[in-house]
Amino acid sequence: MTAAGTGVAPLPAFVHETLPYRGDDEFLTGVLGFVREGLARDEAVLLVEPTRRLAQLRAALAEDAGRVEFLDMTDVGANPGRIVAAWAAALDRAARTGRTLRGVGEPAHPDRSAAELVECELHEHLLNAAFGAGGGPAWRLLCPYDVQGLPPAVSARALVTHPYRTGPDGPLPSPDHAPRTPAELLGGALPPPASEGVLRGEFGSGDVPAVRRTVASYARTCGLTDEQVAALELSASELATNSIRHGAGRGTLAMWTEPGAAVVEFSDAGRLTDPLVGRRPPPTRQVGGRGVYLVHQLCDLVQVRSTPRGTTVRVTTWR
Amino acid sequence: MRCQGEVAEPVAVGPADHVCWVYDDAESLADVAGSFLAGGLARGERLLYVGDDEGIDLLRRRPGPLGAVDDLVADGTLTLLPLAGAYEGAGAFSPERQLAFYDAATRGAVDGGSRGLRVVAELTGLAADPDQRRELVRWEHLADGFMAGGSGMSALCAYRRGAVDPDVLRDVATVHPQLGVPDGVHADELAPFRVFVDGDRLAVAGSVDAFGAERLRALLTTSPADGDAVATLDVSGLTFFDAAGCRALAAWAQDRASCGRRPELVGATPLFARVWRLLGYDRIARATLRRSPA
Repeated sequence: MTAAGTGVAPLPAFVHETLPYRGDDEFLTGVLGFVREGLARDEAVLLVEPTRRLAQLRAALAEDAGRVEFLDMTDVGANPGRIVAAWAAALDRAARTGRTLRGVGEPAHPDRSAAELVECELHEHLLNAAFGAGGGPAWRLLCPYDVQGLPPAVSARALVTHPYRTGPDGPLPSPDHAPRTPAELLGGALPPPASEGVLRGEFGSGDVPAVRRTVASYARTCGLTDEQVAALELSASELATNSIRHGAGRGTLAMWTEPGAAVVEFSDAGRLTDPLVGRRPPPTRQVGGRGVYLVHQLCDLVQVRSTPRGTTVRVTTWR
Repeated sequence: MRCQGEVAEPVAVGPADHVCWVYDDAESLADVAGSFLAGGLARGERLLYVGDDEGIDLLRRRPGPLGAVDDLVADGTLTLLPLAGAYEGAGAFSPERQLAFYDAATRGAVDGGSRGLRVVAELTGLAADPDQRRELVRWEHLADGFMAGGSGMSALCAYRRGAVDPDVLRDVATVHPQLGVPDGVHADELAPFRVFVDGDRLAVAGSVDAFGAERLRALLTTSPADGDAVATLDVSGLTFFDAAGCRALAAWAQDRASCGRRPELVGATPLFARVWRLLGYDRIARATLRRSPA
């Protein structure tokens, strides 16, 4: 896409760039420069950062903080599968005020578990699919990566998932960027259960009430709160219903515990083709497509995988 | 809130009881009818038993706490009405004609100094008749509104399980606030959810998932008891709901809104209110939280 001869690369409508940083100073310098540029252009600026970083940015922005919207990544993005919907909502809000959106989002931060970091990487790819496919509004999203706090492989792959990296005078194309096909995005493998005590059962048409009761009762024995049990019961019902309707009328339920987590996994013979399934709010009038969206919104970590061999949705609840 | 849920013993407890009683053998029904009517007797209500000759005969022989049936008949407290008389005497079965009949009977009871009218109706014959069962469901729902509206009528509607198509049984059970089932049968499996009238509002209770959502939607949007004025839906009795169930409730709310009403859902759990908002249905109707138990 480089305009040969001019040396200037025209930017696409959606510019998704990563800012690798070392230490608080580099973080603040990089992010504040980006934010102030947006404020100078009267753009709608939204910062989605972990709690500690939000406090730093608020303090550093001083009186400008009132012109910026802050959201806590550990809340809205606790499950990385919810972040696309958060940006979609921010784009809607910006569009209603006729402003261009400028976002800062740090999904992959050092407090994340290994499984969450895997989903953060997938999420970064999916942002390109969700907002870079063309036809959408122009906006910029800067994703800081803490190269001292994160595993080196995670920081290195940020240059693969992001089409741009922050340069001294603006975004530069990332030479490592490698777009993924929908099949590649959905086809990753999940690690086997980190437990020997896996409870497994098959279900078919007519078994959905029994499946959700089984999951709710297991969730209670794992010590989950009433609120977590209710959310998991609803999620189990949605996922079992999907297996019956789209997975050849039947599916498999597996449940196990890991240190600090209860895991419920649904597998069936169906195949998903849209890697963004459940990541964007479904239009009110649309008939289906709400189940996976609700599961993403209600649960702590949701991992969706689909290959020609079938579909698996793994739901992890922290306890 | 009106008394609702699964009942094990249909002892008359309130002025607007409406029980669907599913049974397997006629003797057990006679015992239940005797208890239910005796509860009404204790409350000072007039009594009406509608059933076939066998049922009437069994009630005479097994009145239980009701006592001497013929004495009650003689002093006008109890009327025994063959099914044909109550439901078919005026020609084809019609919910409107039924309502007129029970309205007159309830008024007669109240005007005569009784606290109301308590009815046991054995309706298997109507439910088993393919020509009449659609109207039967409509009638049950209409009757529920009549009972909930402070008329003084209450009723136990009995259906023999093996003689009625399971889908029909489910449909009639769905429009009663209270449901009794034989031993070994799960009320949730027979009728996962129920829709009934509660004062000036409609209530949905039980479990609504993707497999019952379409039935719920149809019932809510065509509900004859849901007059134009009703714009409040009580969801406090919901024990489970999913996205499809919420969609059915949203369709009701949209329908109310298009009639110029301001629909509202009351009695929501925190999870229900959250899901309702996540699905964007709070733009159609507000969902208010249930009060925490005192």
